[in-house]
Amino acid sequence: MSAKVAAVHYEDRIVTAFTAAAVLWTVFGMLAGVYVAAELVWPELGFEQPWLSFGRLRTVHTHSVIFGFGVSALIGTAFYSVQRTSHVPLFAPRLAWFVFYAWQATCVLGALSLFAGINASKEYAELEWPFDVAIAAAWISFAVVFFGTLARRRVGPIYISNWFYGALIIVVAMLHVVNSLALPATLTKSYSLYAGAQDAIVQWWYGHNAVGFLLTGGFLGMLYYFLPKQAEQPIWSYRLSIVAFWAFVYTYIWAGPHHLHYNAIPEWVQSLGVVMSLILLAPSWATMINGVMTVSGAWRKLKVDPALKFVVLSLAFYGLATFEGPMMAIRSVNMLSHFTEWTIGHVHSGALGWNALITFGTFYYLVPRLAGRPLWSAGLANVHFWLALAGVMLYVIAMWGAGVSQGLLWLSLDELGEVRYGFVDVMEAMAPYYALRLVAGGLFLAGAVLMAVNLWRTMAGIETVRVAPPAGALAAESGA
Amino acid sequence: MPVSVPLSPLLAARVLRSPGVVFTELAERPPSAARVFFGFALWLLILPPLFAFIGTATFGWRLGVAPIVLPVPVIAAISAAYFVLLLFGLLSTAMIARWMAKTYGASESFGASLALVALVGVPLALGSVAHLYPHAFLNVLVLVPALIWSMYLLYRGLPVVLGTDPRRGMLMASSLIAYLLVAWVSLLGVTVVLWGRGIGPRIGA
Repeated sequence: MSAKVAAVHYEDRIVTAFTAAAVLWTVFGMLAGVYVAAELVWPELGFEQPWLSFGRLRTVHTHSVIFGFGVSALIGTAFYSVQRTSHVPLFAPRLAWFVFYAWQATCVLGALSLFAGINASKEYAELEWPFDVAIAAAWISFAVVFFGTLARRRVGPIYISNWFYGALIIVVAMLHVVNSLALPATLTKSYSLYAGAQDAIVQWWYGHNAVGFLLTGGFLGMLYYFLPKQAEQPIWSYRLSIVAFWAFVYTYIWAGPHHLHYNAIPEWVQSLGVVMSLILLAPSWATMINGVMTVSGAWRKLKVDPALKFVVLSLAFYGLATFEGPMMAIRSVNMLSHFTEWTIGHVHSGALGWNALITFGTFYYLVPRLAGRPLWSAGLANVHFWLALAGVMLYVIAMWGAGVSQGLLWLSLDELGEVRYGFVDVMEAMAPYYALRLVAGGLFLAGAVLMAVNLWRTMAGIETVRVAPPAGALAAESGA
Repeated sequence: MPVSVPLSPLLAARVLRSPGVVFTELAERPPSAARVFFGFALWLLILPPLFAFIGTATFGWRLGVAPIVLPVPVIAAISAAYFVLLLFGLLSTAMIARWMAKTYGASESFGASLALVALVGVPLALGSVAHLYPHAFLNVLVLVPALIWSMYLLYRGLPVVLGTDPRRGMLMASSLIAYLLVAWVSLLGVTVVLWGRGIGPRIGA
């Protein structure tokens, strides 16, 4: 029996693989972002090459950071935490490796197809139908591995992080399949099953819930597992986390129409989107307060642990983004903010301030544990922290300045009631903000590169540590 | 009887030159809220609206296109509203700090919180000299470094003035920044809603 105990261990090599992939995608995706930011300052950087044009490169940027970086980080951390909260190794480990290779291949080939100009013209769902089929296959495999592991768990309750990861898997599967339904014309071209306003509603039902269940829900799963681990104490209020989960899941799914204010969709649909967006503030902030109070009990760890700082800051930006979002969903605010750089600033306060920082904090905690030795340089991680903070603050301020100016200029009329400023006038006014944004993006990217070096040096030449499930769990298994 | 910190406008210069000394003095002898407000904070709060009034009346708003010129009564109303908002920002932040104090083991003295918030605001208040030429991007360029300076003063000063462990102070300062970010973005939202309802200056016709 002792031989059996020694043989059972968590499947963590795949976590290392997903983490490494996520770090590479961070650097590549943010580099693409900085490049398109530079193109807005110096348009000649497109060199008249179609594949380097803003239109193509911008989708490569969003694709790489959301699906390459974000989803790789989520699948990796889901695999890590579901084993530990279930006290069993991963179900169907070979299928888990299939998820890894299928996902990475889809992301790489998908990015190449976007460079080539193959594009389904749906925001955050740009990949053409063969990729959609591949994504569905990889995602269902992810679901089988995750829920299979949960089904075999040796712990009674299902821990809250798994509820969020579970919601991510189920809802994203639903969103992806419904939004991607299309009639293929050729291998690289398909036509959406929906038309006109219907297509817009389905697209933003998908788009906003991708933000909701992937960039918010999925990363809350990460927060709920890794924050208590880093703080070495339980969540401040477990009950609040459960209430917030159900309120979050129920409310988020209705909020999509706020992307379509003043458009050709029924007004009541817009109003429903506004009301649900406003209600959404409650579960979002309940979660933030839960996180902040959990950390506030763990302040003694702040000095020794660079990872926790990232988490603290990510909670502040989570609070900002989840307040700003409902506010921008109000029609009379949206009137000014829509289509302006303010939206870009809002997205980045969430994407850089929340998603990237919580993931960086998690990686600084996770990688030393996968390697079985301390982080290569805590000092470098601290430098990264300040670069990230400066980058995200500067980014958001630049886009607030640009967005509000842009909205005001677009809305200003001359004596005859005509639009006073033309497109070129407004673009000229934007130029200095775009330069500031480029600096901000550069700072954030520089921090991410430092992290990549730091994590690589921590892990280089080392096999992933083998960790066995707690003895009690195995004893229960052999006794059963 | 020991003399408490002289709350004159000169304090602004001292907190920029040697913040550590000022913060320690404040921690040793926390002044009353009324003295902080009338002796120091109020004068600081007057600066940005004053600069904004002079700048807008002289040059008009410059958002990167032709200047937007507004009538003097409108500029006066906007500057007064600006003052009220800054006042609200100062008092609400100090109150939030006092409300959070128990969680982070910090001093619950309102005078100390108010003094801290006022001192942290010094770089921004002085940086508002950029309002004398209300070009949007120039103001961003001047106020961003001022903001960084203010954040530095907050992180450095909070644990000293409110007497808590630096690590707990770091958390509390971050929570205050979260509040300020939300307050700032609410301000943007409220302004836009008012504008949408026709309250506020008309740009153009």
